[in-house]
Amino acid sequence: MRTRLVLFALAAVVTFACGGASSGGGSTTTGDAITFGAPLGLTGSLTKESTLTQQGYDLWVDWVNKQGGITINGVKHPVKIIYHDDTSNSNQSAVLMQKLITEEKVNFLLGPYGSAATATDAAIAEQNQVPMVEANGAAQAIFNQGYKYTFGVLSPANKYLQGVVDMAATLSPKPTTIAMLSADDNFSVEVADSINQYAPTKGFQVVLYKKYKSGATNLVAEVQAAKASNADILLNSGHLQEAIAINKAAKEQKLNAKIAAYSVGPSTPDFISALGKDADYVYDGSQWTPQVKYTPSFFLSVKDYVAAYKAKYPGQGDPDYHVAESTAACLAFQRAIENAKSTDPKKVRDALAKLDVMTFFGQIKFDSRGINIYKPMVVEQIQAGVHHTVYPPSVADVTAKFPTPSWDQR
Amino acid sequence: MGNFAQLVILGLLAGGVYVAVGVGFGLVWGVLNIVNLSHGALVIVGAYITWQLFTAFHLDPFLTLPVDALILFALGYAIQRGVINRVIRAPLLFTFLLTFGINLIVINVLLLLFKSDFRSVTPSYSGSGIELGPVVVSYTRLAALAVAILLAAGLAFVLNRTRTGLAIQAVGADRDAAQLVGIDLRHTYALTFAIGAACAGVAGGLISLIQAVTPTAGEPYTLQAFVVVILGGLGRVSATVLGGLLFGLIEVFAQSIPGSGSVYANAIAFGLLVLVLVVRPQGLIGRLR
Repeated sequence: MRTRLVLFALAAVVTFACGGASSGGGSTTTGDAITFGAPLGLTGSLTKESTLTQQGYDLWVDWVNKQGGITINGVKHPVKIIYHDDTSNSNQSAVLMQKLITEEKVNFLLGPYGSAATATDAAIAEQNQVPMVEANGAAQAIFNQGYKYTFGVLSPANKYLQGVVDMAATLSPKPTTIAMLSADDNFSVEVADSINQYAPTKGFQVVLYKKYKSGATNLVAEVQAAKASNADILLNSGHLQEAIAINKAAKEQKLNAKIAAYSVGPSTPDFISALGKDADYVYDGSQWTPQVKYTPSFFLSVKDYVAAYKAKYPGQGDPDYHVAESTAACLAFQRAIENAKSTDPKKVRDALAKLDVMTFFGQIKFDSRGINIYKPMVVEQIQAGVHHTVYPPSVADVTAKFPTPSWDQR
Repeated sequence: MGNFAQLVILGLLAGGVYVAVGVGFGLVWGVLNIVNLSHGALVIVGAYITWQLFTAFHLDPFLTLPVDALILFALGYAIQRGVINRVIRAPLLFTFLLTFGINLIVINVLLLLFKSDFRSVTPSYSGSGIELGPVVVSYTRLAALAVAILLAAGLAFVLNRTRTGLAIQAVGADRDAAQLVGIDLRHTYALTFAIGAACAGVAGGLISLIQAVTPTAGEPYTLQAFVVVILGGLGRVSATVLGGLLFGLIEVFAQSIPGSGSVYANAIAFGLLVLVLVVRPQGLIGRLR
């Protein structure tokens, strides 16, 4: 009994001594933790993309906490993210956002995955006047509501496939006709509509514009229509699952386009693992690739970022753009909080509106609606099972393999 | 004209998958009076087995189908014997809820085992096919249709020509009378569900060839199986075959309506379903019960 008492007393003395040392030690002190809240589809149909989003957020948390946290007026504040599973349901996402704000009293909000959930969550952020920086909702509909508290670090939907069109215009012999297959959700339709308007200005003719039900598993009729249209370029504005289904059907039905490009899908490792050699020659518009050449003013360089990802998530290949843009959302918050020198939501919101910073993800600067129109999209092509950046030339690591050989000649 | 012929072919080939998905669902519904909401999830279990065998052992996906069937048979037997049998005489809502719960469990176990990555089986011969003038027929899809028809024929044979099958039909017709003549009800129930699950497994193997699969990818197939079975009619395997092929054709033709027609493909298919229910409640060639 006595030895226990002695031990307890010793432990108490040691604890006090250390506590005293750490608070009286360095010039910077540790302040309260800054908490961020994010509802993510950790189960349900968006699990894959939501997990990538979470990886991006967590990479930043690791890095910033290793530095001691976010510095405000010389005080380092460690950060913490509270996640909730919204089961890939946008209504549930909004409910959880409200819970994060009122019950868990988070300081700031990070976006969910997808335009649908981001749109419902933006309304909650606005009502409660808590800033939300999101990285995975590119539909401009989110930003056309006059919201003041929602910011998106990614290039908006209308830019997704414009890079592919720009690239096609530089190729020779120049392809001239486009067949567009688009899912009917908000984001995909925005991507497709923008191409409908943009392509003619670059000398292309959209000969087919066909919408299908978002999430469709059977797309043989759409592929057949594209084949019948005999277009040089096949564009798909949809999702990973549809991209794989279209690519499979295109091979089966011998749809030989000179360019096949998808808005979403090919940038993920799944596209290549699911399709093997059939994934070659496919293009996609990407927010970011591991090959881009930006010179960041803080955080990691592109190369170090890729290395940090591979160290934390071994065996998953390079980080794809979902991961990178999610990290970028955190960086926007960090810099805005530092600039605001406060965690006051209004002051941070104003600092976000004024933010202009170069990161590994590219420039982050928001227009008056809160979306980042300043960062360009890049075009990727899969060559021999590997992602390469092919456009714009300033960041490309290889030239595009054009035209895509017909299925029989591969 | 070439395009029309191609669409007919595409519709029939797509229908093959729906036949495979529908037969097991129809059997369980017809005999056990269970609308099995976990059917789509069981289909996806089959898809993952095929994918696993293909990636790990480079086994041809068509050779994995018997493995799918066997594993799903065992799983189905266990589910029915251990869980659903306990509420089999309760009102329909109970089995509804129960199979919905099983659906969630299966999906989440798949998520734990395989993560949410998109998987697909792409063998070297995928995409090759015969070209008859302007019409292309993919070998994989043709083989999938053949497998589906064989599956249906095999099921019809078992149900109509074997003692076990006749026992299953007897239970479907009148469970109390069947019990009176000495049929082991619990075993027969479990057997029926097991056969249904085995069919789902085969369907899953076929599906892994034509689309990307995730743990949640089965949900649309439960719904499609439902439509296929109603369209053809309950109580006959041949009715499900007709329903499946018809559903494939309807879907493909609806999707090829110019412009945004394909957005309404589901609406058109379900509209027809309502029409069939109004005009012929027993389905196109189903048996009245």
